[in-house]
This record gives sequence, C-alpha cells and structure tokens, in this order.
Amino acid sequence: MTINCAYNQNPLTPWRFYVPVCQLTFFGVNEPVLDNDVELLRATGAGDRMAFAAFYDKYSKLLFSIAFRILNDAKEAEDVLQEVFLQVWDKAGSYDARLGKPVSWVVTLTRNKAIDHIRSSQRRSKLVEQAATEIAVRTDATGAANESTRGKESANLISSAVAELPADQRQAIEMAFFSGLTQNEISETLKEPLGTIKARIRRGMLKLRDRLEGFV
Amino acid sequence: MIDERMEEQASLYVLGALTPGEQQAFEATLSQSAELQQLVSALRVTRDALAGNLPEVEPPFALKQRILAQISPAPQLAAKPTPKSPFSFLNLWLPWALAVGLAVVCGILWSNQFKLEKQLSQQATRLQAMNQMADDLRSTTNNLHQLVVSLRETNQLVNLRIAMLSSLLADAPKAIAVSLWDNEQQKGVFVVQNLKPLPTDKDYQLWVLDPKYPTPVSAGVFQVDEQGNVRIQFKADKRVGSADKFAVTMEPKGGLPTPTMKDLVLIGS
Repeated sequence: MTINCAYNQNPLTPWRFYVPVCQLTFFGVNEPVLDNDVELLRATGAGDRMAFAAFYDKYSKLLFSIAFRILNDAKEAEDVLQEVFLQVWDKAGSYDARLGKPVSWVVTLTRNKAIDHIRSSQRRSKLVEQAATEIAVRTDATGAANESTRGKESANLISSAVAELPADQRQAIEMAFFSGLTQNEISETLKEPLGTIKARIRRGMLKLRDRLEGFV
Repeated sequence: MIDERMEEQASLYVLGALTPGEQQAFEATLSQSAELQQLVSALRVTRDALAGNLPEVEPPFALKQRILAQISPAPQLAAKPTPKSPFSFLNLWLPWALAVGLAVVCGILWSNQFKLEKQLSQQATRLQAMNQMADDLRSTTNNLHQLVVSLRETNQLVNLRIAMLSSLLADAPKAIAVSLWDNEQQKGVFVVQNLKPLPTDKDYQLWVLDPKYPTPVSAGVFQVDEQGNVRIQFKADKRVGSADKFAVTMEPKGGLPTPTMKDLVLIGS
C-alpha cells in the first residue's frame, strides 16, 4: 500500500490555505482522488461512502462550531450535525453548484437547523432577550478563531476584519446569523428603527467582503 | 446596477434574517439578475468566513461512526466487479451442492410420505370394514328388537319369558339369538342368526337354566343353515319352574346330558 499526497486549496477560506489530499494505492488498485467539494458531493450523491466521510472530515468541526455557537449546548449541536450530514447524504445528488459553494450550502443548513432547534425548544424568546448582551460579551472571543484549521496568519486576518467592524454592525450581523432573528426582531430587541438595522447589516457585510476580497 | 436596498436585502438574505415572504420575493428577483447572484455569492463567502472565525469546537469522535452507521449502503459499490477470492470456487459450487442436498431431502420425504399414505389407506380400509360390521350388528339387533316388541304387543305373549342371547365366540361376534318360553305350556321358540354352521359330527345344544336344578336342563339340539340362521320350537327335558337364563353350547352329535361349558356359544336372560 502506498500513499501519494498533494495539496489543494480549502474552499472554505478565501485566503491561501491548503489542505493535503491523499491518494491511496491499495494492492495496486488506485482509488480516485476527490480533490474538491463539488466532486465530493457528486460522489456522495452517487452513494460513495468514502467521499461522504471525507466531506464530513473536512467540515464537521466548522459546522459543529456553528451549531454549538447558536445552541450553546453540545448535545443539541451533535443532533444538528447529525441531521445536517444525513441530509447531505440524502440530498447531495441534487446539489446544484450554480446556487453556491458546497460549504455555503452546509453552513446554511447547519445554521437553519440549529435555529429550528431553538424555536422548537421554545428557547427563542429567552435568547432574544439575552442576544444583545451576550453578543457584546462575545466580542473579544470572536478574535480567538481556531488556528489549527486555517493557520495563524489567516485566523488573524479574519479576526482583525471582524474586530475592525463597528460594534453595532457586528452585533446586528451576529444577532441575525447566530441568533436567528429577523430584521424586525433585531429592531425590536435593540429598540432601533428597522431602517437603521438594515443599514448596519448592509454596511457591515459589505465592509467584511471588501476586507476579504483579495482572498476570495 | 444594484442599489442600496438590494444590497440590504442580499445581506439579510445570506444571514437568514428575512421573513419567509421577503425571502421568496428576493429569490424571485435573484433568479433574474446575474449581478445580484454575484453579490449574493460574495456575501455568502463573507458569511462563511465569519462563521469560520468562531472558536473551534471538536465534535465527538463517535458522532462520525454514528452517522456512517445510519446512511444506507452505497448503491454503486454493489455494481463494482468483485475481485476473485480464494473462495470463488465455493461460491460457484455451493449453490449446486445445496440443490443436490435439497433434492436428496425431498426424495426421503417423498418416500416417507408414500409409506405413510399406504399405511393410512390400509387403516382406512380396516376402519371401513369395522364400520360395516357395526352397521350390520346394529341392523340385526334392531330387527330382533322389533320382533320382541311386536311379540310383546301380542296378547299371546303376555305370559312368555323372552330372553336375548349374545355371542361368546370371537370368530362369530355377530351371532345372536332370542328365546321365547311359555312356562305354562312348557314349550318355546328359539330364533338364531349369524351362528356359524357346524361340521356334521357336532350339534348346537340349547339349555334352560332353572335355579331349582343344579345343572342346566337340556332343550334339544339344532343346526343352522348356510347363513347361520334357524328357527326352532323346543321343550325342556325336565319341567321348568323358572327359566332364568338360556344358553347354547357346541356338543357332539346328538348332544349331552350336561353342557360342556368350555364350548359355550350363546348366553342370555
């Protein structure tokens, strides 16, 4: 058995970050190398368990982190991750690359399922009340991105981009994405006009996009 | 050209902050604008980077195995040609060996079934014969009972002693007889059916059992026809006070003064 390795760009991160993808030679039989997310999903859709396992290995930490951030409960985050990957297995065959990158698809799936869990467990109203203060407390923590998956330089880059956002913009964005609040709910929670909330989110997102544009 | 309102909608869309109605309306617009699609794509990447900036939390190791255990087997794996293994000859011959074994078992079962069916047929034949015999006996008994009843209905039979005698012979179980004894006139009528015919050197002998005599009183000898039937009138050798029972024995030709009890054929009261 021999192992041949190459490096491929991680589609999650807009900056130069490479992960190794290895080709196994097992008793002289070459297994195909699936070196990007679209191919992994295509193979998963065709029933390839190895491709599915590779996709899991690639994104399970990220998705679990998102679920845990939203739910603040490891057990519920596990349930969400399980639902997400079972859905990936079932729906990978119908994945349409024109509608976005695979990572965007699974991030959206994870976020929406986690929010659904909050709603079904009727914790939403409590979270809405706590959202503002909670996010404010987390401001410093957002800079502590895990460095093992994307390297120290990249982690510092995105952390600094988030840190450079005005607090009110960052707060509105995180309330929308991680707390699952609609623009109206954010407006009510923060007691700010709806137009102000919309503008904050727009400006914050565009600023982040511009900041990271060179790495996309 | 994308205006600020569209940029707001796109930002809210990728963050999931639109209501279902707003989302539907935005997607309708999105599907018709390549420029808007490009913006949404870029904002999604931005959002994903934001999500990727979270402190990493490791999922439990067992979760992967749990998920893999839940997914259905890969369909295309079954279509892949399987490599030859040392057991390939077994795979080839095993079905034939199983088929031969099954055929042998079927043969044994068929043979057993044939034997059982034969035994069953024999038992059914015997059962049918026994049923026929039982029917005949019932018919004979009924006939005699009807005779008795009809005789009893006759005034002449008011003073008659009527007895029914049953067979003691294993080889003539259907033999039966009725005795009608008129004690006042000291004579009677004896009717026999199904008693086997005797060789010429032997006779059946009728006996009347009267308690006042220590031994049975002879009432004569008789033979039966080929069907085993006979009807005779008889008298006792001595005057009978009370005819309690009647019996028939098989005796040497002409009869004996006392009965040979080991050759008792019919008895009844």
